[in-house]
Amino acid sequence: MKELDLLKKDWKKNSDSFQQISEKEIYKMIHKRSSSIVKWIFIISILEISVSTFSNIFLNTDDVLRKMNHPEILVALEYLTYFNYLVGLIFVYIFYKNYTTISTTVSTKSLMSAILRTRKTVQYYVWYNLGIIVIISIFSFLIVFLYNPDMALLREKLAVDEKAMATTIGILFFVILAFFGLFWCFYRLVYGTLLRRLYANYKELKKIDF
Amino acid sequence: MSENLEQSFVAQLQANQNIIHKICRLYTAGEDAHKDLFQEITIQLWKAYPKFRGDSKFSTWTYRVALNTAITLYRKTKRTISTVDYESHQHFVKDVDYNYEEEEQIKLMYKAVYQLNDIEKALVFMYLEDKDYQEIAETLGISEVNARVKMNRIKGKLKKILNP
Repeated sequence: MKELDLLKKDWKKNSDSFQQISEKEIYKMIHKRSSSIVKWIFIISILEISVSTFSNIFLNTDDVLRKMNHPEILVALEYLTYFNYLVGLIFVYIFYKNYTTISTTVSTKSLMSAILRTRKTVQYYVWYNLGIIVIISIFSFLIVFLYNPDMALLREKLAVDEKAMATTIGILFFVILAFFGLFWCFYRLVYGTLLRRLYANYKELKKIDF
Repeated sequence: MSENLEQSFVAQLQANQNIIHKICRLYTAGEDAHKDLFQEITIQLWKAYPKFRGDSKFSTWTYRVALNTAITLYRKTKRTISTVDYESHQHFVKDVDYNYEEEEQIKLMYKAVYQLNDIEKALVFMYLEDKDYQEIAETLGISEVNARVKMNRIKGKLKKILNP
């Protein structure tokens, strides 16, 4: 291509036409903070991991359950909490391992997939925690509904009134959906701006190799 | 020890800074954005420097880290103008051997290259820098054959932009 050769000629001619940056300025630069997306992904990930780990605290069903004289339920919940912490630790370990593989000295494609892998680990962890919260909510609701003496009246009413039953389930379903919708929007907002370009470039690179 | 490391890094970077400037020229428009990306690349190079073994040339290593930063890590700040501010690149055109028609064509070519996407720009950049296809392929993480195919497609795309 004739024009490209022309461009190359001009490119080479102007290779050293840039205003040079002094050693002193470079010294200053290396002590400044990076604003790379990896740094932002790291900060957001740590926030996500902490928030989703401790979100269970807000889900305090102990008092209600204690009232009901069913200690086996409390024991089961305790085991679940330990299990949750174990899963959390495993996720943090995987996240850390993936994070350390992010390096600018590998190929562009490897760098991109390392970033996306790290991102996905956190995403899976958040989904896991959301799932646990939903499961615990449904179970607590059922347990309270079935065993709590205060609920006897409602129970009887629902047993005869199918419409009321459907409404109750509908509301529960809607609350869960809204909860997930909120998270989804948050994700789109945070990672949409941060990762849009990376996704586009990653897709482009993969397309070349097809 | 760490001061020695700093000293050798700064000296080598200072000597090789044109590589970074050239990448900034392709990926940014405007002086502020140029400086911004230059700084981010410098920080990333410095962060990776302790692992630089010297088994490859400093310049080769710089190409890779700098391109990776420009394509993947760099977050465009609000200051960055996304439209092509191609007038600001006029200072690259010098008065020596002035050939009006040629200069016009070069300007149009720069303008066309700015319209390519990040990956295509990377290929064009390495092509302009006389890198062979093996190095282009290794830097981007694609196969050599596909790097060649892609480069031919880019030439076609550039032609189309020039003669719509």
